Amino acid sequence: MPKGVPLGGVTAETGNAVREHHRIGLPAIFSAFFQLGVTSFGGNTAAWLYHQIVRRRHWVTDGEFLSDVALGRITPGSGGVNLTVQVGQRLRGAAGAVAAVVGLLSGPLVIVVALAVAYARIGWSPAAHAVLDGIAAAAIGLTFATGLKLLPSGSARFGPLAVTLATVICVGVLRWPMLPVVLCLAPISIGLVLVRRRNA
Amino acid sequence: MPDDFKALLALMLVFVPLSLLSIGGGASLLADMEHQSVSVHGWTTPREFADLFAISRAAPGPGTMLSTLIGWKAAGWAGAVTATIALYLPSSLLVFGVARLWGRWRGSVWHAAVERGLAPVAAGLILSGGIAVLRVSPGGPAVWAAAVIATVLLLRWPRLHPLILFATGGALFGLAALW
Repeated sequence: MPKGVPLGGVTAETGNAVREHHRIGLPAIFSAFFQLGVTSFGGNTAAWLYHQIVRRRHWVTDGEFLSDVALGRITPGSGGVNLTVQVGQRLRGAAGAVAAVVGLLSGPLVIVVALAVAYARIGWSPAAHAVLDGIAAAAIGLTFATGLKLLPSGSARFGPLAVTLATVICVGVLRWPMLPVVLCLAPISIGLVLVRRRNA
Repeated sequence: MPDDFKALLALMLVFVPLSLLSIGGGASLLADMEHQSVSVHGWTTPREFADLFAISRAAPGPGTMLSTLIGWKAAGWAGAVTATIALYLPSSLLVFGVARLWGRWRGSVWHAAVERGLAPVAAGLILSGGIAVLRVSPGGPAVWAAAVIATVLLLRWPRLHPLILFATGGALFGLAALW
């Protein structure tokens, strides 16, 4: 595959090249992920990370992001934290991964305990539940918008789009277990890439 | 052995295995956490567990901050930090190692093919995550409608900061409940 093949508007190679020219400092990584942690309401870390780290800061490419999302979901643990580990590692190796994860988790850790203390003192009103519903709705909107923005694009997009659709139907609609679905669809999708490459 | 230390050790023994067994996160993790903290160790009552779950959803950050609250109930701040590290460190080390091994083949043809091939699956997983949250949301059609509006607004104006939508959504639903 020649360099410069578009993947959602960017190339798989640019991310590394950009990072070699502008080394991102550990304090910058920590503070970016700290901001991400304390603002990522609604529990969908991936959608927030895409907005703050990929779209606003351009630290990783769409392709790198999606690859990290996939690996983060099929390995054990929280998908959002696994994604953060990988992005931090891409930015500055092991130290970058530590800075990113500690940044991501330290704010919410304090906030969630503070909320529990407040709850113990003043309790929970029906209005608070309604506010949470409103926030949840916005979080779902952010998730859908992120997924739709990252749909396969370009001239040969019909195969990849079919793979995305199959994933949504199996995991989202039919609620089949994620791991077997991914282990089945990922090789098909990789095969499509290789076939297209051979024909190109 | 002092009691504090015993509680921290117990937290580690519960959350480290969960960290490495929780593929796909979410529902299976929650059931295990409830069993361990309510029935096995008595860190929370069933009612307290439900409350902590609601609180963890109100806080920012990854959806699994519930572990932090269980640790806090069991052993204060030291417990909160211990449970958080015990749940996230083992899985983080594993994914770090896998990603590092994987990075060694960067530049090869099949490395690029695998990364490109995973992209459409990942996009599908992100969309499926939205559907899953929509399904368990207690708010009903109002939440569905608001979610669709938020999606359209974000796609139409990509520079719109999501926090503005989150604040608006929270405020509108809160006001509607008070009405």
